[in-house]
Amino acid sequence: MERLGSSIVFLAALVSLNPSCKRTAQEVVVYTSVDQVFSEPIFKEFERRSGIAVRAVFDTEETKSTGVLNRLIAEAEHPQADVFWANDPVRPFLLGKRGLAEPYVSPSASDIPAAFRAADGTWTDFAARARVLLVNKKRVSPGEMPLSIRDLASPRWKGQTAVANPLFGTTTMHVAALFTTWGEEQARAFLTDLKSNHVRIVSSNGEVKRLVATSEIAFGLADTDDGFEAVKEGAPVAVVYPDQEGMGALVMPTSAVLVKGGPHPETGRKLVDYLLTPDVERRMADSAAHMPLRPGVPVPQGLKRVSDIKAMQVDYARVADDMERIQPWLRQWVGL
Amino acid sequence: MAEAVGRALKRALLRRQQMLVLAAAGAIVLLTSAVPLARLLSEIFDAGAAALGVLSAVRPWLLLIRSVMLAAAVTACAVAIGAPLGLLIARTDLPGRRALWMLHAFPMFLPPFLLALGWFQLVGREGFLGSEVTDRLLFSQVGLVAVLSLTFSPVVTSMVALALLGMDASLEEAARVFAGPWRVGTRILLPAARPTLALAAIVVFALTISELGVPMFLRVDVFPAAVFARLGGIQYAPGEAFALVLPLMPLALGLLLLERRLVGAGSFAVAGLRGMSRAPIPLGNWRPALATASWSVAVAGALPLVALALRAARGGGFGNLPQWIGQAPWTSLGTAVIAATAIAAVGLVLGHGAARGVRGASLLDAMAVLAFVTPAPVLGVGLIAVWNRPATRALYASAAILVIGYTARYAVVGIRAVASVVLQSAVHLEEAAAAAGARFWRRLIRIILPVNLRGVAAGWLLAVVFCLRDFETAVLYYPPGGEPLPVRIFTLEANGPPPVVAALAVAHALMTALVLVAGVLLLPRRSPE
Repeated sequence: MERLGSSIVFLAALVSLNPSCKRTAQEVVVYTSVDQVFSEPIFKEFERRSGIAVRAVFDTEETKSTGVLNRLIAEAEHPQADVFWANDPVRPFLLGKRGLAEPYVSPSASDIPAAFRAADGTWTDFAARARVLLVNKKRVSPGEMPLSIRDLASPRWKGQTAVANPLFGTTTMHVAALFTTWGEEQARAFLTDLKSNHVRIVSSNGEVKRLVATSEIAFGLADTDDGFEAVKEGAPVAVVYPDQEGMGALVMPTSAVLVKGGPHPETGRKLVDYLLTPDVERRMADSAAHMPLRPGVPVPQGLKRVSDIKAMQVDYARVADDMERIQPWLRQWVGL
Repeated sequence: MAEAVGRALKRALLRRQQMLVLAAAGAIVLLTSAVPLARLLSEIFDAGAAALGVLSAVRPWLLLIRSVMLAAAVTACAVAIGAPLGLLIARTDLPGRRALWMLHAFPMFLPPFLLALGWFQLVGREGFLGSEVTDRLLFSQVGLVAVLSLTFSPVVTSMVALALLGMDASLEEAARVFAGPWRVGTRILLPAARPTLALAAIVVFALTISELGVPMFLRVDVFPAAVFARLGGIQYAPGEAFALVLPLMPLALGLLLLERRLVGAGSFAVAGLRGMSRAPIPLGNWRPALATASWSVAVAGALPLVALALRAARGGGFGNLPQWIGQAPWTSLGTAVIAATAIAAVGLVLGHGAARGVRGASLLDAMAVLAFVTPAPVLGVGLIAVWNRPATRALYASAAILVIGYTARYAVVGIRAVASVVLQSAVHLEEAAAAAGARFWRRLIRIILPVNLRGVAAGWLLAVVFCLRDFETAVLYYPPGGEPLPVRIFTLEANGPPPVVAALAVAHALMTALVLVAGVLLLPRRSPE
């Protein structure tokens, strides 16, 4: 008994040393689907500058974009988050439709182009990515380089391409954007063709990047940050912005939303103000290959600006509607 | 007057002490697991036809059949590996059997996803031993069965070994007079361990059928993924998700009935290490071959950890660890210790009740089993629905919600561990104390706990490890800024530097190893017989 007693006292002492037991006077709770490896340093910088402790919830790769969004929805009756930093511009609409977005026009956002700000202040976009084709240069010669996402359905590449599971992550938004742009019939036909062409459906964009980088497939659909990570790691990967002669590449800014009914609205506003500064756009460009929306923010070598690429012209609000509408059909398509 | 009423009330409470203590322990099980699951049941009614419509589709049923078949295959492989290995470890002169047992058992204390990550570093296309063929095999149903079989076979090995070590020596000694080692092993020892083997098979089956992370990583569609698609996908549909859980309920009940029927009270008889000191059965000429085979299995199970360590070391992952590890180890350790203490307390009361056939205890045990086999995300959503309220905000927004979640999911560990030792302890001590006028609470603290202290402590240690390895339950509701280490590993896996992710995984394995070593050292010693 004494041995057990001393064990418990020892462990209790150990637990009491837990730094998480300490709470500072001011704090802010943020839920984010932006990769932790990129977002956490931004939060640490905010903590350093403001003295406000940031308590964050991050998504995993497999549930990217939807895990924390669903948690926000599950907690809707009693919100726990002050800020939602989405990794795409569509999720804020889903939050807004449920009355969970608090209008807030941040003074930091005044120089962000108006197209990327909600008129009522319920969301503000910044630091964008694009959907790109990651191409393995060993398997694909320069002359055969795919130029359109339609090449995923080309018999030339049968069984040699991959996309992430469209029930999760940015692929959901991309598929929904295709439904918005092409219409129901054409989009469904394209996805059916992908299946006939034995396109691999993998767990995440990170997995697409891995398959391309290891020459397991010829090319796949992912995000610009995946592409730049692969290039940085020295993989034989080329990043192709698709459909530059056609509908354009899908551009996906990240988006800041103040959550309605969050426990710390004041500190929440301060965090939104910080996220929307040019400094954060610069940091996201440097560390995560996110394209700044402001023209004046410098970008590292090799990273394009939004103005340098032909972007798909889509109404994000309509994409949000389509994204919800097509889910049952998509689940069938995936086989779940 | 008031004094008389007070005395009468006190007498009534004393008379019903056992019922009250049982009710308190039962309340913990009900509040943490039954209420969240019942809350989700109401979601089915809210969702109406859409929720039930999901069951009319063919695809979920096909996935369920596939999951059952995969779980059966993993169980068969785990038994094929674990039963002979358990016998060899417990009762033969296999060289280094204690070390072999430790090496073989260790992976079962780690999150299965982490081991899958290690296998990928090892035999993935770019892995240390990888090729196109090994990569294809890994990312297939064969790969899934192989990874999970190696992960869960130590459950069978350990349970069989413990059962054989605790077995009455006279049977074996009598057989050894007339029969050779092979005959003693196959005709006496393994049949004697059959109840435990059945229980181990049920545990492995339950662990496999509820596993989500590894099948998703290895791109094999399974039934829990269909449930998860309704909770992690864009169309948040908890009603539909819970409707999909309904077919799992008869399955869980079936497993429970099977266990009771095949195993009965003997299912709990697994504790004790008395046999390790008995004269081992000599393997003779078979010794080198069997030693090579046994050590190969143990080393194979540990290879993913070696691969992760190599990946971390080669990429400078260990050097960057301080930058990325944060407070997660503390959160993991703190919440696991507190939850395990609650689980051990609940286990002491309900495990004792289940072993002694106290009314209601078996029902609560069944509830704990159901919470264990229910897909973790479903339980997680139920916990959010129940605990995210203004009145319980202090709990929900803090590490306490992790403790609640762990208690919900792993209460069964404490209940079963305590029940196993209570069944082996003499009931006459409790009866004598009761005859001498000791009330239940006094008997519990002065007799039942000290007599079964080793079993309770072992249950506590096992619960700590189960909480440490949890990922799929906690990821849905972990408190902001307070993620446990497995969650941090998998959130950082998204575009995080692979060597750092590998280093975090190795850090998790080391933390678990330290907890196990400390726990075993601090475990109360068995008193001389």
